[in-house]
Amino acid sequence: MRRAAARAAGTAAIALVMVPALFPLYWMVISSLKGPQELQTIPPTWWPRSPSLSAFTEVFDAVPFGAAFVNSLLLAGLATASVLVTSVLAGYVFAKCRFRGREALFWGVVATMFLPPVVTLVPLYWMVSSLGLADTYLGVLLPWLANPFGVFLMRQFVADVPDELLDAARIDGAGELRIVWRVVTPLLKPAVVSLAIFSFVFYWNSFIWPLSILQDDAKFPVVLALSQLLSYSTSVQYQNVVMAGALIASLPTIAVFLVAQRVFVASLSRTGVKG
Amino acid sequence: MRRSAAVAFLSPAMLVIGLFTVVPIALTFWISLHEWSMYTPLGDMAWRGFGNYADLAADDGFSTALGNTALYVALVVVVTLPLSVALGMLLYFPKAAGKGVARAVLFSTYVVPTVAIAIVWGGLYAPSYGPLSVLFGGATWLSAPGTALVSLVIFHVWQMTGYYTVLVIAGLTQIPGDLYEAARIDGAGFWRQTAHVTLPLLRRTTVFIGLVSIINAIQVFDPVYILTQGGPAESTAVLSFAIQRSAFQHGLAGQASAMAFTLLVLLVALGGVFLAAVRRRS
Repeated sequence: MRRAAARAAGTAAIALVMVPALFPLYWMVISSLKGPQELQTIPPTWWPRSPSLSAFTEVFDAVPFGAAFVNSLLLAGLATASVLVTSVLAGYVFAKCRFRGREALFWGVVATMFLPPVVTLVPLYWMVSSLGLADTYLGVLLPWLANPFGVFLMRQFVADVPDELLDAARIDGAGELRIVWRVVTPLLKPAVVSLAIFSFVFYWNSFIWPLSILQDDAKFPVVLALSQLLSYSTSVQYQNVVMAGALIASLPTIAVFLVAQRVFVASLSRTGVKG
Repeated sequence: MRRSAAVAFLSPAMLVIGLFTVVPIALTFWISLHEWSMYTPLGDMAWRGFGNYADLAADDGFSTALGNTALYVALVVVVTLPLSVALGMLLYFPKAAGKGVARAVLFSTYVVPTVAIAIVWGGLYAPSYGPLSVLFGGATWLSAPGTALVSLVIFHVWQMTGYYTVLVIAGLTQIPGDLYEAARIDGAGFWRQTAHVTLPLLRRTTVFIGLVSIINAIQVFDPVYILTQGGPAESTAVLSFAIQRSAFQHGLAGQASAMAFTLLVLLVALGGVFLAAVRRRS
């Protein structure tokens, strides 16, 4: 009996925590379903009286939201692919190759993880625009092609791969690239998957750099289109459109997270403890 | 492993990080010694020496931004750290249903784009139309200088606590169960077990969370840009926002760089103090 009571108390406490955690997400959904009239009622309604999906089409007329969605997929997708390749290769060298200055170089890379992006924003803008790449996809992508957290994560995991496996592959005559691709990467699958999710979510959500380097709204990623949408429709009656935009912009990251949630949380936890 | 292979594998990442992170740090300092509008060639910059730094020292705007950032960071850390430890313990110790789902829900706020969810919080905080204004009897939230920064802190805590909670849970799994067994045999109740077993053995995790939450709070930009633009009356103008605005809206890149470099120096100093403290205690 006491066990059952304790279990019920624990479950109730957890449920209580879920309310503030979920409420903003709930508010986003119901606000996107309300009509202009209902949005202007005071006090606000807690459940949409006549839910409608019209905001979800209006958002595509207000700003080039569809194009922005594709831009984000492209930018976040390419950045993720590049981060995976550069991180696995660099992580492999940092974990399995001895050379002078290795530790200093590695910890130097780790230190840049803690650098706020705003510190390098002005010179980065200057460098990219003097290459003639201001307001281009390539300009946005250049600093996103590698990521210190990715290098850090991959080194931690490659370090666990036994040297005997690598030596055996070498005796069989495999080249280093083949070893990375055929021996190391398959063993790192969970870590590589979490890095892919981390990068995709990170670059999908990135705001300050695209905001500073892009001007042409046809090239805007989805978070920039959202901020543009907000400035066009500050009045409360457009809030359903803005909330629909926020919901659509959030869907890919939530979907990716839900699909691979277990792997992701597990690897992230590990780096946390090791860090 | 052959040298040539090692160099070839290492250079893509090192080149990108070197060119687009390390070189810009040096350039930030160089630009901070000049007057520059961002939109003219770098060669047209006028030398100012440490003039920009002297201006910052005399400028109220900079000390306001510094003060806002310090307050924001302090509030975030003071709330986040105990909250994530408490939530982590709640999601780890009791036998209860739905713990996995709860962990996923808490963590999901961290993966949602900050810009999108900041917009939602703008709706929650809205005067008269927003549910939080109704629930808290017309609290001013983002619309008054006295409450705006705290409202942004609440948003930050809401978004980030799930991530730190997951780190706490990972730390808790590392504590051997027989330590609790022994404590129980000695007659220690829940509070004494927490004080003498859980918290001391969780120290590595809490130190790490402390560091990461400081770093994350110092960087805050997106919600400020979306929700307040530094207002009302500069009460939410934190450093990241002030730097970006000064360079990209006011065309004062030299001054912005002086702020950015000062921030970097402060961070390095903070990191040094932090490392020294961790070394001394272990």
